[in-house]
Amino acid sequence: MSQRVPSELSEALQDSAPVMLGYVPLGMAFGLLFQSLGYHWLFAPLAGVVIYAGSAQFMAVGLLASGISYAEAFIATLLLNSRHIFYGLSVLDRYPKRGISRWYLIFGLTDETYSLVTSKAPRIASRHTYYLYLTALNQSYWVLGCAFGAGLQSFVEFDSRGFEFALVALFLVLLIEQARMMNDRWLLIVALCAVFVAHLLVPQQFLLVAISLCLITLLVRPKRDSLDG
Amino acid sequence: MDNQYLLGIFVVMGVATFMTRLLPFVALTQSQSHPLLVRVGRVLPPMIMVVLVCFGLSSLQIESLDRLGLSVIALTAVMTLQLGIGNPLVSILVGTGLYTFGIQWLGIS
Repeated sequence: MSQRVPSELSEALQDSAPVMLGYVPLGMAFGLLFQSLGYHWLFAPLAGVVIYAGSAQFMAVGLLASGISYAEAFIATLLLNSRHIFYGLSVLDRYPKRGISRWYLIFGLTDETYSLVTSKAPRIASRHTYYLYLTALNQSYWVLGCAFGAGLQSFVEFDSRGFEFALVALFLVLLIEQARMMNDRWLLIVALCAVFVAHLLVPQQFLLVAISLCLITLLVRPKRDSLDG
Repeated sequence: MDNQYLLGIFVVMGVATFMTRLLPFVALTQSQSHPLLVRVGRVLPPMIMVVLVCFGLSSLQIESLDRLGLSVIALTAVMTLQLGIGNPLVSILVGTGLYTFGIQWLGIS
């Protein structure tokens, strides 16, 4: 028992390292932008704790500047983050069925956490503890980035240009690993076509539309192919 | 500045974000073992990963041929390393290192 926790933590630390490379600079960018509103810098990391959604937080800066109402902020966030609905579909059986950790794992299901959670079965026995460490580490990178950007930028000289590539590289690596386990790789071409069509039709919302098109394909062609066992 | 308004917006946006993540867990509790859902759970992630790679590339804001070339080199390095060595951290660090080097030291914009 005493050895289990460190191994799960070390595996989560190792797996989440690329996310740190992406989250810290991105969080810093948010912190910097947030400072333009004139609030106390501590509110920037607080946004990372309470909202914990990159694109929604960047949107929040614009919304706050325009003095948006609570109802408008609610609807705008629902629309912006609606792609997360599809993420839950894929981790229903991976996440614990009850307990407080279940709620935190769902709260912290970002693009990057989702990617890591679905990419491999951890070698260690208790997956749930591993997921918990992974989610908490990812959020802590994000919150740290928000705090750095808003509060410490004047003390810490840090040129993060180019670091944004880490998240693209992370997604690409996870795509390669997930594709290795697939029998029906033609579905990846379908996904690429979905991106192309979505980008052509709604360039501003292509992420959500492309994911929706992928799901529709799976629902329309339910049993033509089979996956690995 | 109105801190109460700010906190209110944070809470509202936090609740909305949580709701989007929570919905399938609440709506599909009874049908988790349905074959279609099992299949979606297995096949959808790699498809979403294709979409996320494309989304990530679009957010790099590649607006010059030099930047395009740099991105292709860095992506090729990531793919080659991952297919050859298979260590995600090495692939990501080398790819990001190349890309950052091109932007910060070679001045590719």
